[in-house]
Amino acid sequence: MSIRNLSAGYGRLQVLFDVSLEVPAKGITVVVGPNGAGKTTLLNSIMGNATVFSGDVVFEGVKIQGILPYKAARMGISYVPQMGNVFSDLTVMENLHMAGYMLSSGEVKDKAAQVIGMFPVLKNFMHRKAGTLSGGERRMLAIGMGLMRKPKLMLLDELSTDLAPIIAKRVITEVARLRDELGITILLVEQMAKRALEIGDTAYLLVSGDIRFEGKATELLRDPELSKLYLGIKEA
Amino acid sequence: MGHDGGQGHWIEKERCGGMNGADKSVSRTQDVWMKNEVVIGLVMVAVLTVIMLTLGLPLVLTILIDAAVFTIVTLSLNLEVGHTGISQFGRVLAVIAGAFVVGAVPGRVLAFLNGLPYGVSYADDAVNYKVVPAISDLLASSLPLSVGFLLFSFVLAAVAGAVVGWLTSRPAIRLKEAYLGISLLAFGDFFMWVGHNWEPLVGGTTAVFVPDPFRVVWGSRFQVIVIVAVIMAFLVYLYLEKLTRSPFGRTLHMVRDCDVAAAVCGKDIVSIRTQSLMIGSALAAVGGALYVIYAGTCTAIGFTRLTWTFWPWAYMMLGGIGSNRGVVLGVLMLTVARTLIITYRSTLFGFLLAWGIDPMWLEYTLMGLVIMLVVLFMPHGLVPAKVESILPAGRVRKAAQEQGFGATVG
Amino acid sequence: MMPAWLASGLAYASGLSLTAGGITLLYITTRTFNFAHASMATWGFYVVYTGTVLYGGTPYRWLPLSFLLGALLGVICYLVLNRHLLARKANTITLMMSTLGYDLVLLAFIQMYCDYLTYSLKLFPRRVTMSVYDIELFGTSGASIILPLTAVAVLSLLHLFITRTKFGTAMRATIENSLLAGASGINSDWVYLASWVIGGGMAALGGAFMAMAMTGTPVLGMTTIPFMFAGAILGGLHSLYGGILGGFVVGLAEYAGVYFLAAEVGSWVLGYRMAIPLLIMAVTLMVFPQGLAGAWATMVGKVTGLRKRGVEA
Repeated sequence: MSIRNLSAGYGRLQVLFDVSLEVPAKGITVVVGPNGAGKTTLLNSIMGNATVFSGDVVFEGVKIQGILPYKAARMGISYVPQMGNVFSDLTVMENLHMAGYMLSSGEVKDKAAQVIGMFPVLKNFMHRKAGTLSGGERRMLAIGMGLMRKPKLMLLDELSTDLAPIIAKRVITEVARLRDELGITILLVEQMAKRALEIGDTAYLLVSGDIRFEGKATELLRDPELSKLYLGIKEA
Repeated sequence: MGHDGGQGHWIEKERCGGMNGADKSVSRTQDVWMKNEVVIGLVMVAVLTVIMLTLGLPLVLTILIDAAVFTIVTLSLNLEVGHTGISQFGRVLAVIAGAFVVGAVPGRVLAFLNGLPYGVSYADDAVNYKVVPAISDLLASSLPLSVGFLLFSFVLAAVAGAVVGWLTSRPAIRLKEAYLGISLLAFGDFFMWVGHNWEPLVGGTTAVFVPDPFRVVWGSRFQVIVIVAVIMAFLVYLYLEKLTRSPFGRTLHMVRDCDVAAAVCGKDIVSIRTQSLMIGSALAAVGGALYVIYAGTCTAIGFTRLTWTFWPWAYMMLGGIGSNRGVVLGVLMLTVARTLIITYRSTLFGFLLAWGIDPMWLEYTLMGLVIMLVVLFMPHGLVPAKVESILPAGRVRKAAQEQGFGATVG
Repeated sequence: MMPAWLASGLAYASGLSLTAGGITLLYITTRTFNFAHASMATWGFYVVYTGTVLYGGTPYRWLPLSFLLGALLGVICYLVLNRHLLARKANTITLMMSTLGYDLVLLAFIQMYCDYLTYSLKLFPRRVTMSVYDIELFGTSGASIILPLTAVAVLSLLHLFITRTKFGTAMRATIENSLLAGASGINSDWVYLASWVIGGGMAALGGAFMAMAMTGTPVLGMTTIPFMFAGAILGGLHSLYGGILGGFVVGLAEYAGVYFLAAEVGSWVLGYRMAIPLLIMAVTLMVFPQGLAGAWATMVGKVTGLRKRGVEA
């Protein structure tokens, strides 16, 4: 997917200013940056939840900026938001079924089994309301739901925020597995940059709606100035 | 609605952040505003002249008094809704306050002073229809007394309206938007039913007569009433224009657009809203008082939310919420349209009569369609309110030029 | 056997529960306070009236047609007005005003229809006592038994629909989190359309029910819309079941309250019956604005001690 000269925001409030990114297929592209940089807006612009003032978002050769969210989903883009990423009032099973809305009932069963295979802890909660799960369990359910949609591209928004370090590490490892085993293209937005950059291929640094760095993830990780200034990473 | 996962709140905040970025629609809006109001104004004058020539002066006078009363009521609504952002769906309540107070009190005062029945029996229809004409005769004999009576009635109505406005502000502290609107609407309905059922107030189902202070100019009563009404409407318009352009008006707009910012600037939002409601309700009450004096009777059941809340909303939406001039034009346009429908209903829509259908109902269709069309295609009305900047226009223009935005801002 | 006030009260409260439920459904899906509920309810009544008066039989066999007309009126409202405003992300006041305009147009047609019935068909549609067409069951009016049962049946069907079917679950998902639902591939257009179908149908049914208890007039809906809103507000406006319960409570409270007050202080209270729903609404908004459903949820939460959301295990 390519994002070219994207200026976007909400209503008349502009958040992104002329931003361009390349998201190579079957790789993990990491976007890091401080709070309020516009990372979530970037993902929202791809999914059609934000107002695009100018610029293009091109996915598989098609310009998709401004399309309705469900159409982006049907094209194979799966969005796992940071908040509101599960349906709290629905049971875990209903959540998975909703995530697999576009699939036939046979496919839904298969994929749900796959997801449970990946996150076995969910099996205990199948009939509990998703809102009763802990933060980490909900994150796993959210990623599982993201997988139900047979994605070609996954947009993951701040997966590890609010999670205990052990669970965050596991979640990030699972993301790497998605790329390695399932060949899914991933656009990963993170505030806790270090772990994300460790598994990432390409990286972008987004500050106040501007791209300040683009290149290999390892480069950004090792750049002492940038990582100290923006990412709070002490000596790598 | 459901949890929007934190994204939903961005959409609500759009209003507060709305001043960011060059708002190119500002100058376009102002150009449209200038042209529209002049064109519409001229067209209305032309239409009224045509009506006068073809259908006679009395009809034009009826249109004018109708428009004058509703201009006052709708301008008061515009103050609360358009300038302060309060969901006032209970406009009828203030109108009722003025109307009932004038129906119940001034006549009784004069009755008391002249040895006539003034207590509960005043409103009893057997008594009322004799007492009130006696009072009117009394008024007709003395111009100072008539003028005094008229002024007394209006002052009383304004006070009653202000009280209602204060009472209305109490729910407005905690309730917002549609919740407030529904509550106020229900209150308005309720007081109509009180007036309809509690006979000592304004005669319940049989209504009371209102003493007529215009009898003193017997020959040209109607014309004088129209002139007085139009002058009053004009005064109300001038007053509100001055008010909304004053610092108080700017504060109202701040509270309307982003009350969080206003609070941060030290404005007492509750007090501002209360003042707006009190002024608006006082004015609406005066409108109600004018109406019952003109009509000569005060019939509780006639003060429906349809006529006194929804029609003003329709007038205001057509004219332009927040724009006083727009409101005046909106009232005039729709009053003319309604009157024409009623006058011409047999000729234009006579075919309906073949099925026994009274074309009078098309008035509702007109108002309903106006609201639907305005909401869909012209949400800012015919004469959109000027988008205000916090800084004076000159400074904005200068700053814009310095930053290279050219002539598109301010 | 059943006191008259209770018989009428049950019929009325069943109707009010359906209308309040419809208003709540429309609000939680489309953020729209549907003013046109008033005239949709009135139209529902007039369908039943027309059928009963022209073709005889009990009023009840016209209820399905009544629902259908209500659903149709709802669909028209969605396609013509609501859909465009939702796409523009209009605020709640604009959405409400648009339905008000639609309500006025519908009211105009109701009045014209009544004119037609009066002059061309020599009927008296402007003051209708539907109870004369009612049947007697177990010593009391049929309405007091059939209508609550029908309401329960309708609401059960609705409950099954939104909990057991895929689309119904999709509706619940969209209600809770429309962004996530969209990201899952759910087309919210269909969800909104479905809620207008259901909401409109429930409005019409509710109006037909209420007419069995009160005098049927062209402004039946207009007069009772504040009560419908009161019921929805009592319910809490974020739960369909709350709205249904709230509508029922308001309706029954009105009839019970007036009956017992009249017994205490005299029949003059009848004119002030509006005060009861008004009082309920005021108390709800001032004291427990989250309504019955919210209070229930809080109680359930406290009793079972569920883990709070957002807190890491």
